[in-house]
Amino acid sequence: MIEVKDLVRTFKSGDRTIKPVNGVSFELEQGTLASIVGKSGSGKSTLLSLLGALDKPTSGDVVVNGVSLAGMPDGKLTEYRRRDIGFVFQQFNLVPNLSALDNVMLPMEFAGVRKATRAERARALLEQVQLDPDKHGRRINRLSGGEQQRVAIARALANEPKLILADEPTGNLDEQTGEHIIELLSSLSRDHNTTILVVTHDRTLANKTDRRFRLQQGRLAEEPVRGRAAEPAAV
Amino acid sequence: MSVLARSVGNAFRNKVRTAAVVAVLAVAIGLALAMLVANQAVGAKVQELNASVGTVLTVNPAGVQGFEGGGEPLTAEQAATAADVPNVTAVVGTKALRLRNATEAAAQTAAGTLAGPGGGQGGPGGQTTTTLTTSLTAAVDAGTLGARNQDSSGTTGTTGSTGTTGTTGTTQPARSLPITATGTGAVVDSTGKALVLTSGTGLGDYTAESTKALLGTTLAEKNNLKVGSTFTINSKTFTVAGMFDAGTTFGNNALYVTLPTAQTLAELPGELSTMIVTVDSMENVDTAKTALQNALGTDKADVTQGQRNLETAVTSLDSVKNISMVAFIAALGTAGLIILLIMVMLVRERRREIGVLKAIGAPNRTIGLQFVLEALVLVALGSVVGAVIASFASGGIASALVSSSTSTTAAPAGQRGGGFAGAADGFPGGQGGPFGGASQLLTSVTASVSPGILAAGIAAVFGVAIIGALVPALLTARIRPIEVLRGE
Ligand SMILES: Nc1ncnc2c1ncn2[C@@H]1O[C@H](COP(=O)(O)OP(=O)(O)OP(=O)(O)O)[C@@H](O)[C@H]1O
Ligand SMILES: [Mg+2]
Repeated sequence: MIEVKDLVRTFKSGDRTIKPVNGVSFELEQGTLASIVGKSGSGKSTLLSLLGALDKPTSGDVVVNGVSLAGMPDGKLTEYRRRDIGFVFQQFNLVPNLSALDNVMLPMEFAGVRKATRAERARALLEQVQLDPDKHGRRINRLSGGEQQRVAIARALANEPKLILADEPTGNLDEQTGEHIIELLSSLSRDHNTTILVVTHDRTLANKTDRRFRLQQGRLAEEPVRGRAAEPAAV
Repeated sequence: MSVLARSVGNAFRNKVRTAAVVAVLAVAIGLALAMLVANQAVGAKVQELNASVGTVLTVNPAGVQGFEGGGEPLTAEQAATAADVPNVTAVVGTKALRLRNATEAAAQTAAGTLAGPGGGQGGPGGQTTTTLTTSLTAAVDAGTLGARNQDSSGTTGTTGSTGTTGTTGTTQPARSLPITATGTGAVVDSTGKALVLTSGTGLGDYTAESTKALLGTTLAEKNNLKVGSTFTINSKTFTVAGMFDAGTTFGNNALYVTLPTAQTLAELPGELSTMIVTVDSMENVDTAKTALQNALGTDKADVTQGQRNLETAVTSLDSVKNISMVAFIAALGTAGLIILLIMVMLVRERRREIGVLKAIGAPNRTIGLQFVLEALVLVALGSVVGAVIASFASGGIASALVSSSTSTTAAPAGQRGGGFAGAADGFPGGQGGPFGGASQLLTSVTASVSPGILAAGIAAVFGVAIIGALVPALLTARIRPIEVLRGE
């Protein structure tokens, strides 16, 4: 369960103050698949970075399972990112000189997972995101944008986080692969009780989530969705 | 993939740059190692020289140093005074005698070589030796140099009426050198070192009645003498009590009798040619020398330290040692600085990547360690190349350092050495001395690269590199994970 309380993040740009996140509050039950939509530059990525403890809010708080991020020391925040969060970056942010497999193994290495387990699990994850097995050992800068995006998703899943924050996870994927990723995220929230918050412009994806929020002028408003519950059981 | 593997991988990310960095590091490290090797080599040489100087002081009558003989002889009272000087542990008086083969001397006298009383005395050493006759034959042939020296001894000697010596000398057949007999108060040689006896015993009783003598091995061999054999000096019969090996041909063409015996033979009781004063430790040699000189009076005695000319050499070597140490530290610092700058640059360049690692939960120390290890990979490569450079360059660097810093001091040291050698031995042919010049000595500084020193040097390089890499590694802790959202 994640509670966001009156979150504000402002930026100074010359003598102007930009307020992409200006008093955002919401709650998400564990296992919810939710989406955030909004215009470009509306502050979606900014909000996600606050939830993922990549950035600190100007004011307000994020409470994860009863624990407040505000005032948490940096070491604890690092641990929170490592253990509880899986972040899929809009720009992928993979380590360019490492292989796909090594990139997926990195969070596990930081978490102290045994080497053999790491490789095994990393391969399984890369298969789940449908990356060709012969591309597992390939260096990131020799992979296509869509392939990199899937490696980034696999990396976010590496430590089985409770909360996945995904910034445009299907932005670079063809329709079919995108569908598969949506299905993967959907099954994670359904079967593993993982809370998933995706930022998306993808209508299909947004329509398949349990809840949908729109970020506008720094504020978040919930919109009604058909949701998974309304869909037929078999897709 | 571990932190180490990632660091090694990162070190080779930009191969051209890595090669350039390693090359620059190798020069700095190579220079540092070469300087360290030079420093050690010179340090070892200084120690060796200091040890060879020893703790022995030699006291001669004032004025006999150099080529001019003169002054008052030393006395037994002066020996007692010397013994009372602080830090002096032993005083051994010696009386030098010059022995000539009786038959040969007679022949020469007949030929008029020994022109005047004392004409053959003095010698280049200027010692106030007394010439006596003996049944012994010298073990060393004079050779050209010796013959010339003995001829000219008339001219360089004290007040001998000369003029005839030169002309008659040339007609002389081959002749042998005189034998040095030393009356001594203890079984030591003229530099205060204990005599190495190869057979027999010491001199026993140090009385005037003693007829015991120690013979140099070659001298004994030449005269077919063994322990117990007898020979004569000035028609007094002596028994060979033992034989010694002084290690040199000249040194072994000598014999030792007791001091009182020598004084009696010379008919100069209580008179000493030289005193050999031993000081308790190296540190006290200088103060004891001054004290001894003051106690005896500058007008009465000259106190010299054995192989004093080495001091100049030691001083210049010491400065070479200091220079090489400074250069070592400077080169080490340069290597550290290169690492620091390179790593600062790499950290700045990889800001975003560091942000990524933090965003996915890497602890600061893991990232810091990764950068330190990457720096050490570069240093390790630089050290390998640097060690190769050092092993080729250090010999040249060491001798270049030594010769440039000593070229000005070497010459006077050499001259002084020559004069002193003559005085100490009283031998003709002493020119040049045992140390022809300090420069000759210094070129013998061999900078061999020992693995121990290399290891110590490389350890120091790594220590400095870790310090150099720590600064940028700590900088990574200040990079925030949000950097990932900033475009490059
Ligand atoms: N560090 C910063 N300093 C100044 N302004 C910033 C900073 N980060 C973001 N902004 C501004 O905040 C606003 C929100 O940016 P954000 O990246 O959150 O938008 P977004 O909704 O993710 O857009 P997109 O859909 O294009 O990814 C933008 O106007 C951006 O220029
Ligand atoms: Mg964005």
